[in-house]
Amino acid sequence: MTRYLFRQIGLLLVTLWLLTLLTYGLGHWFPGEFITNSSGIFPDDIRYEDIVEQRAGDAGILSQYIAYLQHLFSGQWGVSLLDGEPVFEQLQLRFGATLEVALLAFLLALIPGIPLGVLAALYFRKPVDHTILTISLSGYSIPVFWFAQIAILVIAVHWGMVPISGQINPLYDIPPRTGSILLDIMLAQPSYLAAALHNALLHMVLPVSILAVMPMMLIIRLTRNAMLDVLQQNYITAGYAKGLSTARVIWSHAIPNAMQQLLRQLGALISLLITNTMIVEVIFSWPGLGSWLVRSIYERDYPVIQGGLLVIAALILIVSIILNLFHAWRYPQVRKDLYGTP
Amino acid sequence: MTNAARALLALSTCMVMTACQPGRDLPELEGLLYCAEGNPESFNPQLVTSGTTLDMTANQLYDRLIEYDAEQQAFVPALATEWHISDDGLRYSFVLRDDVSFHTTQYFQPTRKFSAKDVLFSFSRWFDDEHPYHRVSGRGYPFFTSSGLPELIEHISTPSEREVVIQLAQPDSSFLANLASDFAIVLSEEYAALQMENGTPEMIDQLPIGTGPFQFADFRKDVHVRFIRNSNYWREPARMEQVVFRITPSDHKRMLMLLTGDCDISPYPPARDVEWLKRQPTIDVQQTTSPNTAFWALNTTREPFDDPNVRQALAHAIDRDALLRAVYFGHAVRADSILPESSWAHAPQPQAFAHDPSRARELLRDAGYPNGFSMSLWAMPVQRAYNPNARLMAERIQSDLAQVGIQATIVTYEWSTFRRRLGDGEHDSVLIGWSADHADPDNFFRPLLSCTAKASGANRAQLCDPMFDELLNAAIRSNQPDVRGHFYAQAQEYLGAEIPLIPIAHSIRFQASRAHIGGATLTPFGGISLRGVYRRDSAKTNSVVLEESEQ
Repeated sequence: MTRYLFRQIGLLLVTLWLLTLLTYGLGHWFPGEFITNSSGIFPDDIRYEDIVEQRAGDAGILSQYIAYLQHLFSGQWGVSLLDGEPVFEQLQLRFGATLEVALLAFLLALIPGIPLGVLAALYFRKPVDHTILTISLSGYSIPVFWFAQIAILVIAVHWGMVPISGQINPLYDIPPRTGSILLDIMLAQPSYLAAALHNALLHMVLPVSILAVMPMMLIIRLTRNAMLDVLQQNYITAGYAKGLSTARVIWSHAIPNAMQQLLRQLGALISLLITNTMIVEVIFSWPGLGSWLVRSIYERDYPVIQGGLLVIAALILIVSIILNLFHAWRYPQVRKDLYGTP
Repeated sequence: MTNAARALLALSTCMVMTACQPGRDLPELEGLLYCAEGNPESFNPQLVTSGTTLDMTANQLYDRLIEYDAEQQAFVPALATEWHISDDGLRYSFVLRDDVSFHTTQYFQPTRKFSAKDVLFSFSRWFDDEHPYHRVSGRGYPFFTSSGLPELIEHISTPSEREVVIQLAQPDSSFLANLASDFAIVLSEEYAALQMENGTPEMIDQLPIGTGPFQFADFRKDVHVRFIRNSNYWREPARMEQVVFRITPSDHKRMLMLLTGDCDISPYPPARDVEWLKRQPTIDVQQTTSPNTAFWALNTTREPFDDPNVRQALAHAIDRDALLRAVYFGHAVRADSILPESSWAHAPQPQAFAHDPSRARELLRDAGYPNGFSMSLWAMPVQRAYNPNARLMAERIQSDLAQVGIQATIVTYEWSTFRRRLGDGEHDSVLIGWSADHADPDNFFRPLLSCTAKASGANRAQLCDPMFDELLNAAIRSNQPDVRGHFYAQAQEYLGAEIPLIPIAHSIRFQASRAHIGGATLTPFGGISLRGVYRRDSAKTNSVVLEESEQ
């Protein structure tokens, strides 16, 4: 396991290093001037000379790259070309907001997704299976933006049940610290704590549930397929032959082994989730990373593009590595496969 | 996975907490939600010309020496109680109020009341190049530069704490109107000195201090701006505890938020939905015929738009009546001059802008472009009173231009980027417009089309013709309406022949509010004022009557 751990971490570090090379290179490849692209300071600014010196603007590529890394690690990611806001501080706040909505949606997708998938597999080619499969297929085919518009029209506008914009009614004065509204409320401990939490949760209903739909449908189908696979294995037959109860076979043997297959595919699901998060953030004015990055690309706000790209790519990488490690830790046979040892 | 664990913990705590019914309307949550169209560029109106920023800041955070009352059609006292103009029209003296204090906030506690020093500081900032604060923020002062005020003012003196005297270089009949505009606000000299001492002079525009009915609380970009009530306001204090501007660029989204109760007031509802909104029992719609003009400005410094023939051809190529129907849904009149019809100096040139594609093709052939050319057509990304949907208008114009062989590419950026690039003159042509800041006709000429406006980046046509400037200057030197009217008629004739811009429409400005909000008004000139807005007692309902589907 230790060997595998080090190998995975080594892989992560190398990939992250390549990523910094890429973002550093972007500073040169974007139109315009390297120092402005990576620091957000225009040449006519009084601070410009100092910045050139700090970022080794006149030196060779190597010392420039080292200076870039130093800035990266000390959290000086430059300022936005548009409004002069420090990119790193903005990233922290927006990252928290994105993570909050994405994680909750992921949980919301997992909790009913797995049981439904298992259920479908157990009732293979029975009406239950058909119903679940039909729902998951149609749910998977509805584009997120369209689903969001319909939900807004029916649930928010027509029934007036939930709000449609932002994280909380801004009349609640919650200073943003982590970006995640629930954590921020807990940190702020306002006198109207319960009311604020209630309001924040209401604001989450639509974005989180809409975001959860597609991963949930995917999880249902993945779980179902994995279960069907596992149920045909010899050890399941052997379990039954030994006289184990169906419940015992399913709980102790089928589900854990099906989860292994599911886990391996969750990595791909994360990037789908992040992409959909961006769309949902724009629709619900959720102040997260996605809506910010989309706009910065549109506005050619290079320091923000560089920072946002780095964070999102690193997030997806780290999550995949964590999933790999968890997978290997939980299922020793996987490690053997990876080493190629008998 | 610690994040997931924390989120789970937080979520479960919430579930437990919210099991008990929370109080819906807590006293500390009394406030107004105003859905604004964009981020403020700054919290100092001196630095900007965008209506979004002016709406948010000018009447909320600050006061001016005098104000213009559209009903009485006269200037009324504000921070100045009275004013006198010398017989030669060169010396303006103002007597100031003595009971006005600046905002007391966490970041600044004033030790003295408002005085002449503050007026001197505020005005020096934009008119005196040598002033230490002149260069702070580095954006320039587009309204003042383009209306020529820095050259006009010879000097400002303060004979006493309560008196300000402004000496002009020449008579200017639009001077009081400029002082009454939203831009001529008064900042705190004491606060400025403090920030300068701390080495952070630019903070004066980011953490604002003024004398207005609200004071700054916090700003989160793309999310909200929060102001709280200034309880020491010198007039009747605001009726709301706090005002939150929620930043929502999409007009459709703003309308939905109004319906769901996410906003109380929303400016610029989509033009196609105004009639439907008017029929909603939960929504009130306010409107005013604000003096504004939407126009299509051609960059006269770029080829081929430096050729008047080409500009005339473009004017004849587009069908403005069709634009009115498609974009304004009848809530506008066709513009045949840059000046709106309500102005006394209005002198229309309908033949200059008439729709005549064959004439357009002829002119293009004469100019040496028988096969047309390609050009960029910039459309603003926000809705303004004068143009509710520039993008749609651009698409219409694009197809009109295709009829005469011109390929137009539509270009758009986020509002502040858009304005910065326009200021640099990167566009071939742009769909934009102007809302009057005050009632004087000069407001439609010098801030838009003079050489100084070009220098300050506000001249969208990049026009700089000394002869035209001379005409405008002659018009403001006189106090006689008939003399001025003569000069303005000539100026409009010039614009009809040279066509640096093509006027399109004078529109009606709309604002929608929830029915339980009272005191939401719109005035023809300048930005909104939220001081008198209040919440009616009747219980609020969030549901909406969808008695018919949208067309």
